[in-house]
Amino acid sequence: MRIVVVGGGPAGIRAVEQLVRAGVTPIWIEEGPDGGGRITQRPPPGFTRDHAALYGADAGRARRLHATLDAMKPRTDWRPDTLVWNIRPQDKVLHTLTNGAAQGEVAYDALILCTGAMDRVLPLPGWTLPGVTTLGGAQVALKSQGVGIGANPVLIGTGPLLWLTALQYAKAGAKPAAVLDTTDFLTKARFGAGMLWNLPTLLRGMGLFAQLKLRGVKLHEDITPLAIEGVDGVTAVHWRDAAWKEHVTPCDAVGMGWGLKPEAQLADLAGVPFDYDATQQNWVPRKDVAGRAPVAGVYLAGDGAGIGGVEVAELAGARAALAALGDAHLPSDMALTQHLDGRLRTERRFRKALEQAFPYPAKLAARMEDSTSVCRCEVITAGELRAAAAADAPEVNRAKAFSRVGMGRCQGRLCGTPAAAVLAKALSVEVPEVGRLRGQPPVKPVPLQQVG
Amino acid sequence: MKKALVIGGGLHGLSTALHLARTPGWQVTLLERRHVGRHSSGVNAGGVRRLGRALPEIALSVIAAEMWQNITALVGDDCGFRATGQVKVAESTADMAKNEARVAQVRALGWSHEEVVDQVEVRRLLPAVSRHVVGAIVTRDDGSADPMRTVMAFRRAAEQAGVTIVEGVAVTGLEATAEGTIRVDTDQGPYEAERVANCAGAWAPDLAALTGETIPCGTKASMMIVTERLPPFVDPTVGATARALSFKQTAAGTVVIGGGHQGRNDKAAETSTVLFGSLAHAARIAAEIFPCVAQARIVRSWTGTEARPPDDMPVIGESRTLPGLFHSFGFSGHGFQLSPAAGAAVAELMARGATNLPVAPFTQDRFTVPA
Repeated sequence: MRIVVVGGGPAGIRAVEQLVRAGVTPIWIEEGPDGGGRITQRPPPGFTRDHAALYGADAGRARRLHATLDAMKPRTDWRPDTLVWNIRPQDKVLHTLTNGAAQGEVAYDALILCTGAMDRVLPLPGWTLPGVTTLGGAQVALKSQGVGIGANPVLIGTGPLLWLTALQYAKAGAKPAAVLDTTDFLTKARFGAGMLWNLPTLLRGMGLFAQLKLRGVKLHEDITPLAIEGVDGVTAVHWRDAAWKEHVTPCDAVGMGWGLKPEAQLADLAGVPFDYDATQQNWVPRKDVAGRAPVAGVYLAGDGAGIGGVEVAELAGARAALAALGDAHLPSDMALTQHLDGRLRTERRFRKALEQAFPYPAKLAARMEDSTSVCRCEVITAGELRAAAAADAPEVNRAKAFSRVGMGRCQGRLCGTPAAAVLAKALSVEVPEVGRLRGQPPVKPVPLQQVG
Repeated sequence: MKKALVIGGGLHGLSTALHLARTPGWQVTLLERRHVGRHSSGVNAGGVRRLGRALPEIALSVIAAEMWQNITALVGDDCGFRATGQVKVAESTADMAKNEARVAQVRALGWSHEEVVDQVEVRRLLPAVSRHVVGAIVTRDDGSADPMRTVMAFRRAAEQAGVTIVEGVAVTGLEATAEGTIRVDTDQGPYEAERVANCAGAWAPDLAALTGETIPCGTKASMMIVTERLPPFVDPTVGATARALSFKQTAAGTVVIGGGHQGRNDKAAETSTVLFGSLAHAARIAAEIFPCVAQARIVRSWTGTEARPPDDMPVIGESRTLPGLFHSFGFSGHGFQLSPAAGAAVAELMARGATNLPVAPFTQDRFTVPA
């Protein structure tokens, strides 16, 4: 039984843990040099900031995850620095690239994809200036390399990651110039009650908010970001407050992010169908409660299977591994399975409230000025995308063919969400009606020579 | 007005519909099962090439080349056509000998567009080419166009000429009526016309089969890869004498690599997928002929499905079982350049039963086994 786990984040770690418990030695593939995931991103060896400083309230979780990660590596076929860039589902084979140079093929009987997530962005005038990054990128820089994106960054977006990043920067000695939240207080308050399903997490979120206030970080809600100013770098952010008053906040960097989207390209190439999740405002690969995809032998867990956060990722990773073991008639822990199913049910309710409390501002994306770049790889503006819509592109794949939006290095991973919002508005339809960009290998750019 | 139906919204269907709609007295409707340009028409390499054509195709290709030089006059858009030349490189003296024989053969037939050039000239044309290349065949005013833009330009022109394009309609049956017209059944009700064109690409032989006509034909799913943007280093589209390669740098800077390497094709599901094993071969050839791309990164790959008769040449001609039905399919991976001229020929066959355009070699009779 060849079980392959792709991803060394929280979901992958907990999946592997269950497989090893059952006596299986999985092949474990991680794109980065080490596992640990993004929210519990691990610094390289030799860095001395401890877990408490790096992860704050999540320090205990990070410590446990890293301990399991290290314990599992020698008990698996651990392959770091390895990108899975294509799948041949008919043959059950993965194409891999190790250290950017060594080409490989990995056969599997069961495949557990724990491929994680990335930030959703809202293109603004100036968003491609040096010094602008995603909230996720801003966090990773801090946790993995001990460097910030700036000394006085403006952080824009919505969601727990916005406050978390702000607090981490404040604790690390930076002084955030402002935290600009596009969601109004009422929306958050209205759905806050639903988050009582996970009181500790809710309290942690509220704690973040309080700590930021205590540290004197300026928080503004219900704002509209207007532009990022700068020539060779960022010098200020223009934004409008809830009372429609315009502000200019000087800063030296910008971190932006509006929730997360699944990095589900491998599930797509494996032939898994996708459904639009209106609460998450994301296309999500189809799976049952245990993480089984409708494609035999393919299992999905963690944020790559639909955004759930780190806690859900751990539960779902273990659950998917138990499903794979059960389906292969290998010993699996029935009691644990039942326990996980119960916890996952509760978490789903919490998550639903969380997503509703921090929506992606699709309306702002749809109203983007014609001159703003939507697709930064191919430098395609919202106006050019709207022209494609006018030239009979009723869905995103044809809009891509006409306009080149999503044809570049990122393959629409970054521009896909805002482009769909712009296109839907231009066509006067709902966002799910314009569809989803079809995945094309390679998942990420691969050197020609390595393919040859 | 006489009624005509064109089945298939690829480039050949659109071109046929356009030319017929510009013929006085014809009212044209085009039926497309999915959407215009869904398969190979919208995703091919966009080669506008006479170079290396099979001898029976040269005459039509030469006429098409003249139409491409004035493509704006035909469809109101330049289709991204750039006459940057086509070059087929020779990698050995054996290749050179083959090239010289080929060009002599073409010239003996009266065509002068192909030209043999030496190493000095090929290095002048392609400064980035590998040092082992010894010469080439060149057609200087061939070039390439943007396939999706071309499809959309033909669509717009056809609609302006009065063609009604209906997308999302699948043909399920074809038969002669007592009145001498053809009834075309679809999943959304019947259509009737005096003339029907079968431009359904990979699915065209199935339509022929609906009328009891068997035309031997397979399918093709040629693969393409594209790199991230690179600084400009090559203008012409480049092929190789002894190896399967099609290589060009687009105006955007990306390098598009093909050459007929085949992906996996699922005709029933109307999809095709990339097979990297065989694409790897294309990548290797590309990096050997242009060493500067070895480190370039591939960002996408894709395939498109179309028909391929046993001799890799198209089928153009009237049905042998259903008079009034005209086939135009099976362009086998090199129909893009032919489309303006082939559409004109088929429209003329439909309108008056004959054409002076050189499509006689392409009737399906060539596959008939002598009794």
